[in-house]
Amino acid sequence: MRKTVLTVLLVLLGALGMAQGDKLKACWIYVGPVGDYGWSHAHDQGRLAAEKALPWLETQYVESVPEAQAEAYIDRLVKQGCQVIFATSFGYMDSVLAAARKHPDVIFAHATGFKRAPNVATYMADFYQLYYLNGLMAGALTRSGKVGYVGAFPIPELKRHISAFALGVRAVNPDAEVLVRWIYEWYNPAAAKEATEALIADGADVLAFTEDSPTVIQVAAKKGIPSFSHYSPMQSFAPDYVVSGQLVHWEKIYIDFLAKVHAGVYTNKNLQDVDYWWLLPQGAVELGGEFGVPVNPKFIPALKAKKVKSPVFGEISVYDLVMKELALMSDVELAFDPFQGPVTDRQGKLRVPAGLRMTKQQLETMEWAAPGVTGPWPNEPK
Amino acid sequence: MKRLGPFVFERELVAPPGRVLAVSLAAVFLAFFSAGLVFWAYGVSPLLAYRTIFQETLLSPGGFAEAVRRAIPLLLAGVGLVLAFRSQFWNIGAEGQLLLGAVAASGVALFVPLPAVAKLPAMFAAGFLAGGLWAALPALLKLRLGVNDVLTTLMLNYVAVYLVGWLIHGPWRGRSAFGFAYSDRFPPEATLPLIPGTYVHWPTLLLALAAALLAWWGLERTVWGYRLRVVGDNPEAARYAHLPVSRVVASAALISGGLAGLAGVGEVAGVHGRLLDAYQISLGYGYTAIIVAWLARGNPLGAVLTALFMGLVFASGDVMKVALQMPFRVTDVFNGLILFFLISTERLLYYRVRYAPRKKGEG
Amino acid sequence: MEDWLWTALLRALAFGTPILLAGLGEIYAERSGVVNLGVEGMMALGALAAFATAQTSGSPALGLLAALAAAALAALLFAMAAVGLRANQYVAGLALSMLGLGLAGLLGKPFEGAPLERTLPEGAFVAGALLLALALWFFLQHTYWGLVLRSAGENPEAVDAMGVNVFLVRYAAVAFGGAMAGLAGAFLSLAYRPSWADGITSGLGWIAVALAIFASWHPLKAALAALFFGALYHLSYRLQAQVTPELLKAMPYLFVVLVLSLSALGRGPSGAPEALGTPYERGERR
Repeated sequence: MRKTVLTVLLVLLGALGMAQGDKLKACWIYVGPVGDYGWSHAHDQGRLAAEKALPWLETQYVESVPEAQAEAYIDRLVKQGCQVIFATSFGYMDSVLAAARKHPDVIFAHATGFKRAPNVATYMADFYQLYYLNGLMAGALTRSGKVGYVGAFPIPELKRHISAFALGVRAVNPDAEVLVRWIYEWYNPAAAKEATEALIADGADVLAFTEDSPTVIQVAAKKGIPSFSHYSPMQSFAPDYVVSGQLVHWEKIYIDFLAKVHAGVYTNKNLQDVDYWWLLPQGAVELGGEFGVPVNPKFIPALKAKKVKSPVFGEISVYDLVMKELALMSDVELAFDPFQGPVTDRQGKLRVPAGLRMTKQQLETMEWAAPGVTGPWPNEPK
Repeated sequence: MKRLGPFVFERELVAPPGRVLAVSLAAVFLAFFSAGLVFWAYGVSPLLAYRTIFQETLLSPGGFAEAVRRAIPLLLAGVGLVLAFRSQFWNIGAEGQLLLGAVAASGVALFVPLPAVAKLPAMFAAGFLAGGLWAALPALLKLRLGVNDVLTTLMLNYVAVYLVGWLIHGPWRGRSAFGFAYSDRFPPEATLPLIPGTYVHWPTLLLALAAALLAWWGLERTVWGYRLRVVGDNPEAARYAHLPVSRVVASAALISGGLAGLAGVGEVAGVHGRLLDAYQISLGYGYTAIIVAWLARGNPLGAVLTALFMGLVFASGDVMKVALQMPFRVTDVFNGLILFFLISTERLLYYRVRYAPRKKGEG
Repeated sequence: MEDWLWTALLRALAFGTPILLAGLGEIYAERSGVVNLGVEGMMALGALAAFATAQTSGSPALGLLAALAAAALAALLFAMAAVGLRANQYVAGLALSMLGLGLAGLLGKPFEGAPLERTLPEGAFVAGALLLALALWFFLQHTYWGLVLRSAGENPEAVDAMGVNVFLVRYAAVAFGGAMAGLAGAFLSLAYRPSWADGITSGLGWIAVALAIFASWHPLKAALAALFFGALYHLSYRLQAQVTPELLKAMPYLFVVLVLSLSALGRGPSGAPEALGTPYERGERR
């Protein structure tokens, strides 16, 4: 009798303790290897930071998950006790939704996606603001008037990045061009190298890119050409040639989301409208090629020397312009946006009327190219 | 006859099935042992690895279903390769033929208006034809000009990959895919049903089993099969006997390409529901099917077992990725070792070992 | 216009170098009568060995040696099966390719992503490859042992009758081929893109196999062919606006099929070594 009472008490106490600070297991699936120094690497850094910040969090990850296998892998992860699953690639969309129907008690979050469910949220940390600032600097540094961009896939995400970049370049150098070459892969160092060489051969003397490796930086540095880091801090690969870049802090989103799940704010029933679209104000992204270094000090003198006439600030150095607009875009009210109207595309068609800005939906489905962009642009709208 | 100490090795012409089984098992065991060494070098306990694999694949219904799902394209392509290899058409191009089948099926699914009930059969038919045609070119070159079939089939694999790439980035790019490299999703009547609770697209599974049976029956019980076996064992004798060697080899080549094409249809219609990047579709099935066919030692029914075995190997790779955090390359290590040991022990099949110690006084 | 041509030439040379190096090795192996389809795997192992050694020891030269050793070892494994055990050469090569890629990817995990401190100049490899092509051609055509090598592939019985061990010749040729593939891999991880990542070989090994055939097993033609393939690859990015990139990338493979067919049409046998692909059995009638 006494034994039974004791057991019941223990169970009750256990249950009480469980209700307060119990462990949460979150799992990540990556589309590439974490060593790629690009997209998957950055997500993994976010995972590690979240693990460090949240004592009750236990994490696991699987890398290089082919899209065909995503659902099967999710099943396995659920079996291993994952309560929250982060799917870090657009291609996992259908698998995530199917898995979410199959496992209604598990919470899912899909990066770069747009379909949600009661237990599926979506999230994205976007770079378009940073690319505009990078463009300002690129426009100031180019002497040939040709800036090169090595792109992975001609999808809206890259198109808005390149367009924002081109808008920045043209704001400083109205005659400059942004030459684009696509490699049709997220990760292919050999292709990135050859594309870079081809752009340099075509006259580009400043480079930016979307590819999950520092290849473009290294190739450009060998030829003495400045470049912009992408996704992970790559300044150390060429400290004399990386001007700035785009950095991401996925942990901002991960910590926010997981904390809310842990506190019961987000459950497996109320995620239908949870969609993170986090930019500079939320600290999800950061300007620079190295954390804490928005502009490489080696390039500050050149950027300070170049002056432009800004409609808002008057005569100003590019460096100061970058810093000022960075501050404006970091303001929660988004006092400045690269895509604020009027904006026409490279064919002359008006895309954003005066006084308006692009909605999130428009940004997510953007197919047109900003003026100054030259090169193949598949699916360009008439 | 060779002598190694007290053992005498005598060459035989035929390998008895008992020995074939024993040698095959020995090769597989050696492969697993070596793989264990690799795990140990990587820092994972081999015992833990194998126990986890065993638990998650053979003992778990979900895991086993996954192995079956992986075995489907392996069986289809593998049966085809058994026939091809039997006729001495060294088809290394199953990967490309699979992709062509996927392309044809996608084309029918997305662009050919048909009544719903006819969609899937048309897709399979188109896939078979496309895969067969992709094998036809190397076959033609081999039969008419004597061009090496290993190389031509291998080269066409890469052409197939780029063809798929061009289609999904260009003319067939999906409207709903936001520029990502996919075609549009297939309409529901163009997707295969699954066994509830699993991802196994059973129509393709049935097709694969039927193909194995048909191939065995064809090989063993028909004139065509007889001719094929003769052509494969002794092409000179076949020519001397006025057998239509070219026609026989061509038929084997076309069928093997067609079956690989069917595997491709199964993948896009049963797993993905659209056409996507070539490496996402084929996942190396075409190359692994070579192992399936080799292990089956020329018997299409044997391919059922060997395809399941290789399906388990694939599934094991997945398990190790998730449970043991090993990189996906571990499956390639397995595959490579198994194939290597199979190939290396091939000759042992034809040697009979006798224990015959040298008597005193012998030279 | 001239600038365009010059850049294309330079890039073609650079991209063609690993193909040429591995291709030259494959030519030697095939000339001795052995088809080595495992080049891709050996290249990957060489690339990893080079990077890992160079990174940990700080000496890229040591890395180079490690690459040669690792790849040659893998090639010897293949030779044991294909030459020693008379296994089917094509399938054995395939097995080594899978194994090499798998092992490299697996064991290379801890080295992913980190850049190399001291690298080797691309130009050195490019020049070295061209010089090697010349030297290897000379050796093949104008020396006694070159003749022996060629004979092992054309008429192994004659070599045997001369008292030279055919097996040893083939082992040596295959090991050399492997070492060259390793050298190509070292180029990739020490000079071309100084780092290690899974998939760094990205199919170049297969193109090298294609190259050996495309060049009719002739070292000097191989240099030209490598230049041609390299040019196609470079142009697929340069001309992206005008030409579908996939078409240019598929061209090397289509060309091989074309060349094989044309040479078969032209003069009957494709000029391949007679005994290519057939294991040698002493005393057996082929």
